[in-house]
Amino acid sequence: MADFYNSDSEPTTRTLLRRVLDTADSRTPRRLRSAGAGAQRALLETPSSRRLNSGTKTTAKQHSHGARSIGRLAHFQVSGNLEEQTPRTLLKNILLTAPESSILMPETVVKPVPALQVVQPSRKESSRGSLELQLPEFEPPTTLAAGLPAPSRKKQRLRLSVFQQEVDQGLPHSQEHPGNADASSLTSSLNLSFATPLQPQSVKRPGLARRPPLRRAVDVGALLQDLRDDSLASAPSGDSLKTPIATLPTDTVLEDTQPFSQPLVGCSPSVHHFLPHPFPTGTEDAERAMGHGTQSSGPGLQNHKIIEAEDSQGTVEAEEPEGSSEDENTSDRPELAASTPEFLQAKQLHPIPETAPPPGVAVLSSETLEPASARLPRKPRTAGSRPRQDSYKAGLNHYIKLFSFYAKMPMERKAFEMVEKCLDKYFQQLCNDLEVFAAHAGRKTVRPEDLELLMRRQGLITDQVSLYVLVERHLPLEYRQLLIPCAFSGNSVFPAL
Amino acid sequence: MFVEGKEALNPAQKRLKAAVHYTVGRLCEEVALDKEMQFSKQTIAAISELTFRQCENFAKDLEMFARHAKRSTINTEDVKLLARRSNSLLKYITEKSDEIAQCNLERKARKKKKSEDGNKSSRETAEAEAVDSED
Repeated sequence: MADFYNSDSEPTTRTLLRRVLDTADSRTPRRLRSAGAGAQRALLETPSSRRLNSGTKTTAKQHSHGARSIGRLAHFQVSGNLEEQTPRTLLKNILLTAPESSILMPETVVKPVPALQVVQPSRKESSRGSLELQLPEFEPPTTLAAGLPAPSRKKQRLRLSVFQQEVDQGLPHSQEHPGNADASSLTSSLNLSFATPLQPQSVKRPGLARRPPLRRAVDVGALLQDLRDDSLASAPSGDSLKTPIATLPTDTVLEDTQPFSQPLVGCSPSVHHFLPHPFPTGTEDAERAMGHGTQSSGPGLQNHKIIEAEDSQGTVEAEEPEGSSEDENTSDRPELAASTPEFLQAKQLHPIPETAPPPGVAVLSSETLEPASARLPRKPRTAGSRPRQDSYKAGLNHYIKLFSFYAKMPMERKAFEMVEKCLDKYFQQLCNDLEVFAAHAGRKTVRPEDLELLMRRQGLITDQVSLYVLVERHLPLEYRQLLIPCAFSGNSVFPAL
Repeated sequence: MFVEGKEALNPAQKRLKAAVHYTVGRLCEEVALDKEMQFSKQTIAAISELTFRQCENFAKDLEMFARHAKRSTINTEDVKLLARRSNSLLKYITEKSDEIAQCNLERKARKKKKSEDGNKSSRETAEAEAVDSED
């Protein structure tokens, strides 16, 4: 090894290498092979067979560097000595003269990479490590980027995964040297197995994300659709309310096991608390609550508390066109309306539009439901109005049961009545709004545009979230199919491994 | 908490907000004189903040309504739709809109009369000329 120090001031590469060769005979490849870098040596033999003087031995040493990166310290000195003799120039020439790496041999990776970075073995190690690290992630893009003649079958698979990864993650451009890209892609040909497991995870288009269903939103959406279908006509609203909706929430309800079996358990002290509480607060709460309610489908939830102060007076006096009947029940209002805000606070069902109006909605007693219901579908006030009222009251019962389920605690009968009234008021308000919107657009039929306007006012639909996104999120497939004819096209089925 | 959010606005919006605040202050002064009650600063600030935000919401809603009716201009119909919640406000607005409509009609009627007079006079002159020519 001392010969290295005896090199001339300006050695030709050949002389240098010859010296290296001569002196390095003692450490033949065989020795290294015995150390365990057999594959590398096997590779070396092929180029060495072509050229004796080519720096294969030095490449052997560089390979030894690579071996060192795996854990061999034997040739560290050699590399250190080589530094003094500008190994860079040496190795550049070696690179130029070295045979092309064969694609099939995986360890040819090591050759071009360490050839460039002899000086810092640690860097090599890191580069190799980075290669290894990046392989699972980057190799699909690099295969495309490098455009290697990989086997076509595997390339197709990679393309799929690459495309989807590009779609989802954005293509992380490989920052490696193009040579390294070759290297990485070479190894990628080995590591193709890594590609396929990525495929199932990668396809997550945000628009089609199946999130856990927010059941309340489903109910409202379904109900509103049904209402739209009825279009405020004299359709049997109660039945139509009940049947299509019954299928939806019952499924969801059945999926979860009920935490308690009996919704009406006599007098529950917790509910009792709510009732006496609001009494002392008096009419202010009632007015505030009604401000809440009338603004339910108004500008948005956050404005409820703001608007109440302004509009409470107006709303108290004459709630709605239908509201004249409410004036009969002024005594009922404070009790019923005020109790519901307590409910809301207890449940903290804040962001959900369905529960937001119930707390504040002014309450109609059951007697006033008759004229209201009769007015809505514009039927003559005959005995026919009674069964109608009962029928869509029955529809509301369904929602009341849902309410009690989500309350997770037993509820009094009075509480149920209040909830029913709140829901009734809420839906009447919604229907009114829909009717007004349709009339505003010069139409007599309520159309999805009206509904979209309503939901926009509710804050459900924003510039970020469109109706279709909500539909995708919350509705089951059958209903989605109705609204969005190509609902089935969103699923992508991957070929099995 | 009471004086907030002015930093996020551009200067024009800040001036608007300040104007609103000033107007609200003046109105509150009048009410205070009327009812012989004092308004604290925080109250006035709160009310003005409220008003400002509500105006923003109104504007957005009005735009939505106009677009819903496939128009590009906000109409009195849109405003009436906006005010339908509170009946007294709705009544007030409808009265005002009727007044304005009447004013417009009257103006149009006057204009029409003027133009008709103009037309009549021109016709008369034409007829007179025709008559003269016939003669």
